[in-house]
Amino acid sequence: MQFPLSLSDISLWLAFTAIILLVTSELISPYSEQFGDFVIEKTRLRFVALFLGAAFMVTVLMRIIAPF
Amino acid sequence: MSFKKSKNSEKNQKETANKNEHTTLKYLIESLQAVQKENELLKVQLLKTRQIPSGRIGFPLLIIGALALIWSIVATSTILAFIGIGLTFWGALFFFIRPIRFVRGTLLDSTAIASYTTIDRIIDNLGYKGKALYVPPYPKDVYLPEYLKGLKEMVVLISAEETTEMPTIEEMAKKQFMVENPKGICIIPPGFGIMSMFEKELRTDFAKITPENLPDTLPKLIITNLELARNIEINHEKNLTHVKIEESVYKDLYSPEHRSRSVQLLGCPLASAIACALSKSTGKLVTITKNTASPDLKTIELSYQTMEA
Repeated sequence: MQFPLSLSDISLWLAFTAIILLVTSELISPYSEQFGDFVIEKTRLRFVALFLGAAFMVTVLMRIIAPF
Repeated sequence: MSFKKSKNSEKNQKETANKNEHTTLKYLIESLQAVQKENELLKVQLLKTRQIPSGRIGFPLLIIGALALIWSIVATSTILAFIGIGLTFWGALFFFIRPIRFVRGTLLDSTAIASYTTIDRIIDNLGYKGKALYVPPYPKDVYLPEYLKGLKEMVVLISAEETTEMPTIEEMAKKQFMVENPKGICIIPPGFGIMSMFEKELRTDFAKITPENLPDTLPKLIITNLELARNIEINHEKNLTHVKIEESVYKDLYSPEHRSRSVQLLGCPLASAIACALSKSTGKLVTITKNTASPDLKTIELSYQTMEA
């Protein structure tokens, strides 16, 4: 039994999710912070997006430093 | 005979009228009951649509995601791992982005109305007819002796008569409610709290921001950071500043049933906060010369005049 995802898989997932979240946080109306009837906190969403972006960069650095 | 006939027909007419009235009444009651039922149903539907807690969405996602992750390890499946990691992440995200506390915008008006009504009563009882002058405080980091510390507080002076005269520094420093020369009252502006929040967001004192920079600084704070209005335009000229606010959260204070003299004099809390910021930034007295709202309350137009004390 072992975790089936490699570092490159996780890196790809991180990049994909970070882009989706960043675009979402930018596109959300700055006025109401509402997704229809669902209220969310935009600043936290942006924070998560940036955090995932940073995590992706870390995985990229890891692959550069130790490619094998 | 004819008299009897006419009496009978009158009786018949009355009976038919009564019957008709009864039928109409019955129909009205039935339709009223139907409308009430529909109203109750709509209320329930509205409540359901308004209350979609993010936790209710996040929790199932988190559980399904965790199960998929465990299963992916057992079955060594990459697809399951991707599904699991995605679901777990979104579940956790729904918990994380859930706001700590959101209040409805209408609550802001209802809490502000009481203060404005009180100010109205005070002004009416004292028979004051003057202007409201926003008095700039001393910057926070400036040293002042103990007896002058009261000058660091932002106040708005409502004078008895139309005058631009100011009370003496000693009188202002005493933090008195009523001042004698010129006759008037000194109160904390309704927008003082919002102005403090602006400063907190900016991490600086408005005294350190030049009035020329306010048209760039304030809209970002009001629209993006604190979301108090949909749009705001600020034009700063020499002694005049024109502000156009669209969809302010305090727009209902300008509705005919709520509108009071104090709202006209001091402006809504947002307008008052802008006056405070302007007064601090210029270091001059500020008065609101124009304060009007469009009939649909979507746009509020304000003009501020700055003057030397």
